[in-house]
Amino acid sequence: MSVVPMKRISVAAMKRDRKAVLEYLQVLGAVQISIRGKEDDIFTKTDMSKSQQVFLKNSEKAEDALAVLKRFAPEKAGLLSGFEGRKQLSVEEFDTWAKKSMKTLRLCGEILDTEKEYADYVSRIPKLEDQKKALEPWMKFDLPLDTDGTKTCAVFIGSLQGSYTVETFYTQLKKLSNVETFHGDIISSDATQTCIFLVCEKKDQAAVREALRRMNFATPPVSDMNPAGRVKEIEQEIELTHKQIDQAAEKIRSYAGSREDIRFVSDYYTVRAEKYGVISQLLQSRRVFFLEGFIPEASALAVKQGLESRFDAAVEIKEVGKKEKPPVLLKNNGYSSPLEGVTESYSLPGKKEIDPTFLSSLFYYILFGIMLSDAGYGILLFLGTGILLLKLGKKMEPGMRKTMRMFFFCGIATTFWGFMFGSFFGDAVDVIGKTFLGKGEDFGLKPLWFAPLDEPMRMLTFCFIIALIHMFVGLGAKAYMQIRAKKYLDMVYDVVLWYVLLISCVVFLLTVPTMAEMLSVNTLSSSLQKPMMILMVISAVGIILTGGRESKNWVKRILKGLYALYGISGWLSDILSYSRLLALGLATGVIAQVFNSMGSMGGNSIPGVIMFIVVFLVGNVLNMAINALGAYVHTNRLTYVEFFGKFYDGGGKKFRPFAANTKYFKFKEEM
Amino acid sequence: MSLGLFFALTGAALAAATSGLGSARGVGIAGQAAAGSCTDNPDLFSKVLILQLLPGTQGIYGLLIAFICLSQIGLLGGSADPNMSLSTGLLYLAACVPVIIVEPISAINQGRTSVASIAMVTKKQETFGKSMIFPAMVETYAILALLISILAIFGVARL
Repeated sequence: MSVVPMKRISVAAMKRDRKAVLEYLQVLGAVQISIRGKEDDIFTKTDMSKSQQVFLKNSEKAEDALAVLKRFAPEKAGLLSGFEGRKQLSVEEFDTWAKKSMKTLRLCGEILDTEKEYADYVSRIPKLEDQKKALEPWMKFDLPLDTDGTKTCAVFIGSLQGSYTVETFYTQLKKLSNVETFHGDIISSDATQTCIFLVCEKKDQAAVREALRRMNFATPPVSDMNPAGRVKEIEQEIELTHKQIDQAAEKIRSYAGSREDIRFVSDYYTVRAEKYGVISQLLQSRRVFFLEGFIPEASALAVKQGLESRFDAAVEIKEVGKKEKPPVLLKNNGYSSPLEGVTESYSLPGKKEIDPTFLSSLFYYILFGIMLSDAGYGILLFLGTGILLLKLGKKMEPGMRKTMRMFFFCGIATTFWGFMFGSFFGDAVDVIGKTFLGKGEDFGLKPLWFAPLDEPMRMLTFCFIIALIHMFVGLGAKAYMQIRAKKYLDMVYDVVLWYVLLISCVVFLLTVPTMAEMLSVNTLSSSLQKPMMILMVISAVGIILTGGRESKNWVKRILKGLYALYGISGWLSDILSYSRLLALGLATGVIAQVFNSMGSMGGNSIPGVIMFIVVFLVGNVLNMAINALGAYVHTNRLTYVEFFGKFYDGGGKKFRPFAANTKYFKFKEEM
Repeated sequence: MSLGLFFALTGAALAAATSGLGSARGVGIAGQAAAGSCTDNPDLFSKVLILQLLPGTQGIYGLLIAFICLSQIGLLGGSADPNMSLSTGLLYLAACVPVIIVEPISAINQGRTSVASIAMVTKKQETFGKSMIFPAMVETYAILALLISILAIFGVARL
């Protein structure tokens, strides 16, 4: 239920054991490497970043190969497989696979090469299709298209822009070239181009060419075959390319069996790259290397013994230095630990702070429950996550498991508040009863406590009570930390005075009849007014005098104290901020009601029932998704801003042990 | 028929309309940023989706007010009083004013904040928890407006 105490560990061992020691530590995953020592004449650091780069590249290669395999031979994934974690690997499996790693890496190369070939073939097809298309207008022509004439005749084969008939072509050409003797054929013609064949005497060649140029003459794709033969050839080529594409794809698919091997290789090289990253940091002499780091106190002794019994190593466990900031690892009970992620998202506890996770867990689920506040959604939430946890709980990654557990508890709280406020899929029970079962007006699910929609002010008062309790606990946590740091006077100034001021303010307000009536609570006796006034004044003066106590100058000090007292407006807005409990709770219930009443518009008939089922399912799923998101976001906000704001700053760095941070397999050994 | 019912209905309709409008814009601009962020990093999808959806709640609050208003004036159950006095109708309209004005503005501004938060998450994934809080701050005022409108409508209904 707190921050795990850290120790410093230093290891000096023989260089010949370097690989084994590092692998041992990596598998344990209990030490965060942090080397303070500087290089000197004897101990130097060795730059291993080149080997590290090679390993990273290998790992990337394996990932690329996996992506190719995924494209060509997608795996059938079970519905729930997304929740499953990495597989645990035994030492034997590791060894056999490690031996095969070079071979598997070559295999990855082959996969990537084949994929390149495949892409080449695929890109060839449209080119061939284009060639074929360009020849289409020439299909009736039976000479090779590169024919350029005989000894005495010149031949022009090509296309002209625009549409021509034989007559228009002849007149145009004669006009432009002044040549009379020639013969021309139109091979094909459409709206945009006309394909022609033209024979003329060699002496007229230049004049004709010039005339044709002015008619936008273009030469066709050249080949030494006649067009029909060439098209046939292209078609054969296309067919062949299609076959090659299929073959390449088939070849890639044939590698699908090695997928697990490739996954292992990806992990294997990631792990080795990490190890080499650590080697670069080590201080090494000719025969000895030196390693330092942080280790959780609980595992320190076991690691020390493990290292000393296995290797010629000297291990020392020390206290963390006073000026050092040890990395933070949180450890909480089963009820609170799902919220460690929430704390971490804000900031981990700084050096002298307590872990706020347990305290926030006291309220987190309750706040979530009040905001979602529907028994139906709550039951879905806790059944869904509960079944997943039961079926796959052991296989899940710790992070996923925590999230599931968080929503499991949130679901329970939502169900509780749902029944308290009488909401089960909105007013589904009432609507079904009235529309389909012919029940009377008074049929329906009665709230165990009260319905917020009927008594919004009562609900608002309840929200404010929760607000005060929540923030007072936060303030109490501040007092606890100050007591722990033996700052008793600060505790009185910063916490006790505020408690007195706030409580006396609240009690005073409750003695005012209009106020109490508005909040629908009983008015307190007015005899309390005077003592409360006195308490308010005393505590306010106290805050003014002490709020700026870090300033020596009295004018400054009083001004700062006044500003500190102005902080009461912050308390007011913080309390009002909890009205989101009411707003979000109402939103869930009312929108579910809208969908239910929309669904029941079909009346009590078979189409009416079908319509109700469809609208009910779609509407409620949508409503649950949107409001669960809203509840999650705003529970976090209340925790971060209103609650943490009272006592918690954070600023700690996360504990990141040297471990096998793999993607597919677990190499970690349980300690 | 007096104009009372007309004004009450106008309040409900405007509450749903302006809030929906604002949320549509807010979610829209946040969605553009989210889509841009996803092109480079598809893994971020679920995170930026949450950030995109944050300005969507104002539309729901507007709907909520419209619904409460409609049910209080009896237009949902068919028990509406066509002779509702002009002053009662105007009171309902006035009760809806906080939502009509505040929701669209806060939704659009929350959308802009979401855009910035999406940029934050895109650069540093681990800041997701913090990035969610900035847009949630804007929502506070939407909630306060909603609260006043709810209390006012119930208050008018009890007159």
